[in-house]
Order: sequence, then structure tokens, then C-alpha cells
Amino acid sequence: MEIKYTVQGLLIYIAMGAYLLAFVTTLLRHRKTGRVLYLFGFIVAVLSFGYRWYDVGHVPLQNLFEVFLCLGMIYPVTLFCYRFLRVGGLCGDMLIGAIVLLPAGFVFNAEPQRLPPALQCWLFVPHVAVYAISYIFMAKATFQAICELAGTRHNGEENLSGPEEGTCRMICMGFPFLTLGLVLGSWWGKVAWGDYWGWDPKELWSLASWLVYVGYFHFRYMFGKKYQHLNSVWAIAGMTVIVVTLLWVNLSRLFAGLHSYAT
Amino acid sequence: MSRFRKVIMWAGLALIILLIALSIYGAFIGAERAQKLVNTLPAAVYWSAFIFILTAGLAVFKRLIRVPALSLIHCGCILTLAGAMWGSEAGHKMQSQLFGIDKIPTGQMAIYEGETENHVAVEDVEQIKELPFSIKLKDFRLEYYKPEYLQVRSRDGEGWKVPVEVGTEFSLGEDFGTVTILRAFENFKIRIEGEQRIITDDPASGHNPALEVRIKSPAGDKETRYVFERFPGHTHAEDELLLSYRRVIRDYVSELEIIKDGKVVAEKNIEVNHPLYYGGYHFYQHSYNAEAGQYTILMVTSDTGLGLVYAGYAMLCVGVFWQLWVRNIFARKKKIK
Repeated sequence: MEIKYTVQGLLIYIAMGAYLLAFVTTLLRHRKTGRVLYLFGFIVAVLSFGYRWYDVGHVPLQNLFEVFLCLGMIYPVTLFCYRFLRVGGLCGDMLIGAIVLLPAGFVFNAEPQRLPPALQCWLFVPHVAVYAISYIFMAKATFQAICELAGTRHNGEENLSGPEEGTCRMICMGFPFLTLGLVLGSWWGKVAWGDYWGWDPKELWSLASWLVYVGYFHFRYMFGKKYQHLNSVWAIAGMTVIVVTLLWVNLSRLFAGLHSYAT
Repeated sequence: MSRFRKVIMWAGLALIILLIALSIYGAFIGAERAQKLVNTLPAAVYWSAFIFILTAGLAVFKRLIRVPALSLIHCGCILTLAGAMWGSEAGHKMQSQLFGIDKIPTGQMAIYEGETENHVAVEDVEQIKELPFSIKLKDFRLEYYKPEYLQVRSRDGEGWKVPVEVGTEFSLGEDFGTVTILRAFENFKIRIEGEQRIITDDPASGHNPALEVRIKSPAGDKETRYVFERFPGHTHAEDELLLSYRRVIRDYVSELEIIKDGKVVAEKNIEVNHPLYYGGYHFYQHSYNAEAGQYTILMVTSDTGLGLVYAGYAMLCVGVFWQLWVRNIFARKKKIK
């Protein structure tokens, strides 16, 4: 764990602080202040991402530090889900924003790196970006699933879907991105390494996460809302596999492979 | 749901769960062993069962046919699996036995600069096969990011990145003086003539990048040192500053020509992410001779089954977006309004 005494670090810490304050004030029922703080945190997170982009000279999605920095810009997803899909979880999103910035701020090395030859491909940005977007939706789905299992409802929010329905909507939004990420990655693998599927640990874990959500859809189709808790368990299992795909595969020596550079 | 439909559905779910377990197991055993595992006979039975269940699902569940998006998703999965099986090593063997199509599934070829080659070392079977055309390597080169840097580090851990600009004096602060790069070598050579050391940048084959650096202390003392990229850590105990020179590779480039019946039929500079496609094969920049850049190693892969896999991918993506976004999310939103 290291504190970053740089402009980059400062921006990350301010965004994190704003997200955490937003979370606390929303919990204390000062919803308006919470939203303003959340918006402020988002603006700082965008500045931090932009600063990094300027610093490294390419879209900053090369390593885990940059991916987590990108995940910190969660606000538009919250707004979209709330306005258009009627899925709440504002408080959860504020917490997710702070949690994903935590490894960027304290764990991962922020030393700028030049792109290795394999990453100099137009597929690099869309592949990583769609995965990042899908992960945000799946994280929101997990929050909804936990609410379902815990039996909590949204307080004071009218016209919002219930947690089980919310979980499904979030997965419906995120799964196409997850599929696109997998397919783009496979295509890129063919262009860069000569094979569209190399059975690399990262590829296998990402396939496993995709399959868990495929299982979710089939299970939900078979039983509908008969076993709502089990539907939620599928959603949480999906997120668990995503966390392994994103973190454990790159950080553990157990899974050395073609994607090790992304650490 | 009828009993038969239930069986198909449960079988599908069981196969999905089994594939999740296999994927996780495969991740633990590593890519090489995982690849062998999925190419075994039991695995072939499993893949065939998967295709069968998907097809049976399409036949039994009318909804999968009636809803185009669902048809696309399931047909896309069938095509992807079928294409992968068709393009696998076993698929190539079967095509050779049944139809006499003798293509190399995957292999490697090493080509020296200026030479022409058509032999491919086939992976696993330790066999050499011939392509129906030849490939000439006109030139191989490494390209580096600019500017390059000389890394300077003091004994107490202070560090500087000095851009490699010949003749420019770079200040290291009051305590350490200045550093000037006098010469940059691609292929550093030294020879002794009489009592003189002659240092040259040899244009002949060889690869020994180095920098000639002058360090000027705050007291005005000058010292000349040579820093070699391939021999880092070449310092003396009394040196106050530790120097290292490491360039970052931006690209590997092989200039190739395809020769058939004595004529050049295609040419391309291949790089990582820019393979050459000719005669049903893709050629990739795979490796190179690190010592002198004298030869390149190309990876050769057959395109058999690739069209099916890509068609499957396209159908899967269109189907998933159509079903989950257009039909599910936005249709439901309209209903809410």
C-alpha cells in the first residue's frame, strides 16, 4: 500500500473522498447534498482520467491502475439506470465508486508505461472499454442482488423496480457489453497472436464469467421468479468470477499467461 | 413445460455449469495443458453434445425460432463451436483423411534475412511440412520508442531520465554535476591498435547498442563512461552514479515477399497486429533472433473454420444486443410508460 504524492494521486483521493461523503450524507437522508457531492466526485474522477490520458499520451486503459481509474467514473451509469431503467441503488453506486478508486489510489503502481507492440491495435480501447462498462453494470446488478437477498427495499423512491427485477435489468444491460468484450478480445487475439482462443487463464476466467450469466438467464427462464434468491445467487456468483478475472488472474502468480502485462 | 423440453433445458444448464467448471480448472492448469485437455476425445464428445443440445433446443422450443434474436444467439453459438471444431487439429486430420485437403493447422518458420523459405515446423507432431509457395525475408528490424533515455541513479536512490540527445548537457543538480551523451552506438565495437583503443559503430551485422557518456562533477572533473544496453549493471564500486540504458521496443517489422512459381505474388511488412494473409494461411510476427536481428520467426496458422467462427461471433453479438436491449429493456420501458 502506498500513498501517491502526485497531482494524479491528489485527484484520486479527492474523488474518493467526495464519493464517500456522498455515501454518508445520502445514508443520513441528505439526498440532495449527497447527489451534489457525487456529481463533484465524478467531475474530479473525469479530471483524473483526463490527466492520466495527457500524461501517458494514449487512452489510459493499459493496466489495472488505469482500468480502475476508468471504473471510478460511474456517475453516468447511475444516472442512466435511474432515469431510463428505473433502477435505484444510488447509495450503492457511491460506495462502488469509492471502492474501485481505492486500488488505483493505494495499491497499483501509477508509473506511466509505453504501449507494448501487442497493445498498439484499434481493438485495444473498445475491448477494454466495453468490459469496463459491463463490469459497472454487473457491479450494480450485484448490489441489487444483495438487496434482494437481504430483503431490503428502496426507501422513499417511487416507481423504482424491485431488487430482483433491478438485478435482471442490470444484467440485461451489462451482458451484451460482456459478450462484445469477449468477442472483441477473441478477434484481437487472432490479429495479434494468431489464435482467436488461446486457453489463457484470463480468457478462461472471462469465459467462465460470461457463462455464469448465460446460466443466470437460463435458470431465470426455467423458474421465473419462483426462486428469486437463487437468481440473485447466480448474479453474485457472476460478479465473484469477474473479480477473479479482473484481479486475481493478473495479481496471482498462479495464472501467468498472455495477459500478465496488464498488471 | 413438457417433460422433453425440461430434459433439454436441464441438459443445457448442466453443460453450461460443466463448462464453467472446466474453464476454471483450465485456468489453474495453464494454457498449454488446457489446450490439450479440450482437444481430447472426451472433450470432443462434450463439444458435440453441446452442439446437439443447442440444435435440439432450436427444434423443441418454438420460441427460439419465432424470435429472430434468440435464433441468432443460439445459431451463433452452434456456428462458433462448429467452426472451432472444424479448424482444430483433429478437424484438419479429418479433412485430410476424408477429402484429401492437406493444410497445416499451425506451425512456425524461421527465415534468415535475404533468404527464401517454405518449410514449416508443425507444432506438437515435430514434423516439417512444405507450403505450396515460398516466403522471402527482405529485412527484419526493431523499432524503438523515441526519445530514448539514459537512466541515471545516485547511490542514495535519487534518479534522473536523461533523453538521448547527443551533445546536450543535462544537469543533475548541485551535488552531482552534469551528464552529456557524446555518442550513441547501434553496434559498439572496440579494437586495440598499438596502444590505442579504437571505438567504432560497426555497420556490419551485430547488435550492441551503447552510449558514450561524459560525467562532469561539480568540481569540474570529467569522466567518460560507456553504457551498454545488453550488459546492464556494468559499474565500478567507486562510481557515484549508476547508469543504465534500456530502450523500449515499439514494434517488430519483417519485410516479406510471397514467391510462387518464381514470381513475387504478394508483399507486406508484417508487424504485431498486422499479419499477412495468403493462400489460406495467416503469417504472424512471432519471434526473432535477439542477438543480431538476423532472422525472424513467423507463426503460420490455417484459416480453416475461421469464417464460421466469425459468422458465429457476429450472430451472437447482434442477437444478444437485439434480445436484451431492443426487445427486453426498451420494450419493457415502453410498457412502463
